[in-house]
Amino acid sequence: MNQIGNDDEIGTSADSLDLSPRPVSARQRRKRRPWPAIIVLLLVVVSGGVVLTKFLTSAIDYYCNVNEIGTKSGCEPGRRLRIQGVVDEGSVKNDGVNTKFDISFGGETLPVTYDGEPGGIFKECIPVVVHGILTDGIFLGDRVEVKHSNEYEAENPDRVDDEASTAEGTACLQ
Amino acid sequence: MTTTDTNTSTNSSPRDRVTGTPFTRGLGVVILAGMTLLIILGIFVSPADVNQGESVRIMYAHVPGAWLAYLAFVVTGISSAAYLWKRTRSLTWDRIAGASAEVGVLFMGISLVTGSLWGRITWGTYWTWDARLTTTAFLFVTYIGYLAVRGLGGTHQQRARRSAVLALLAVLEIPLVHFSVQLWNTLHQEASVAGRGTDVEMDGLMLFTLFLGVAVFTLMYVWLLLHRQRSLALDDMLDDSGLDNALTARRAEAQGVAR
Repeated sequence: MNQIGNDDEIGTSADSLDLSPRPVSARQRRKRRPWPAIIVLLLVVVSGGVVLTKFLTSAIDYYCNVNEIGTKSGCEPGRRLRIQGVVDEGSVKNDGVNTKFDISFGGETLPVTYDGEPGGIFKECIPVVVHGILTDGIFLGDRVEVKHSNEYEAENPDRVDDEASTAEGTACLQ
Repeated sequence: MTTTDTNTSTNSSPRDRVTGTPFTRGLGVVILAGMTLLIILGIFVSPADVNQGESVRIMYAHVPGAWLAYLAFVVTGISSAAYLWKRTRSLTWDRIAGASAEVGVLFMGISLVTGSLWGRITWGTYWTWDARLTTTAFLFVTYIGYLAVRGLGGTHQQRARRSAVLALLAVLEIPLVHFSVQLWNTLHQEASVAGRGTDVEMDGLMLFTLFLGVAVFTLMYVWLLLHRQRSLALDDMLDDSGLDNALTARRAEAQGVAR
């Protein structure tokens, strides 16, 4: 705290104590510069910047709903879009190369052509997000993501009957 | 300038220099039993989901992982506030904050890995830059940065001050991560249990298994926190004893000169 206190603590007078800097060993010097922490911190700053850029360019309003195309800012046709909608019942057709299906949301329907077979738990009556470009009224998709809901229900063998009746043409239960 | 701290520089017998106590040993047994039950319920007993099939079982690790990461980071924030608030500047609060952040990063990592696998199975992709995933990535990176700041060196009190300020800022990200699924359009679904809906849209046994998962993960968090906090105290003690040794050596040297 003060010089006298320090002298007391050291237990000798300042004259007799050699206060000149000593050579530090390599081990001590390495301890003074915490390189691993500094490198990690630099990586953190860089990746934090990347994440922040992604947040501003991609994460805010990740998709447009089908009925928002052309009406909501950022959802203009002609640019690359991500469109969310529910896959229409009975609309999925696969010709071996492309998968064609319709997605609907808010009373509007959009035909989609996807160059491949959608992954995940893709099926009819489930909400999906399709990445692509709207061309001549058809949405040419190159990536399909299945947006499953936050509802969880036990898989029940009795439901096979329900599914059979759905296949006959009843609309997707919303 | 000395880093001497009353909590660590007291002479203790080697018997005290272990991180386990009868309490943590008992807790460990309870955790093992709970984990066994969680695995049995989660993998075998609970039903498959009508849409997601068997992949829904990933939820029992993914959701508790995320919640416990939140809890751990909030504890880091509270301990940091306690460190700054109390005039004693007790390093115990600082070490609790540091230990909790480490455990939180671990749980967040579990949540990210399991979420990524779950996403591959259900969404069809391991990763996408939607608001929930992006804010979570930012939270994860922030707390790795927090741990790096703790490793920057200096005295223990310097470490505690720097990291406490950072922790109080970082904890503000948590509401942003949690509510990201309501604030923006996201691929990630909204919360089933802690969401804005009043009724939980989840099968009863699934919900029970999920709560068991949260309970087991919480006990695991407490166990890890206690051990890590103590091992950090031992680390600080080792640093302090290094300083004491240096002072003793210097004193001996000085006496040699005087004589």
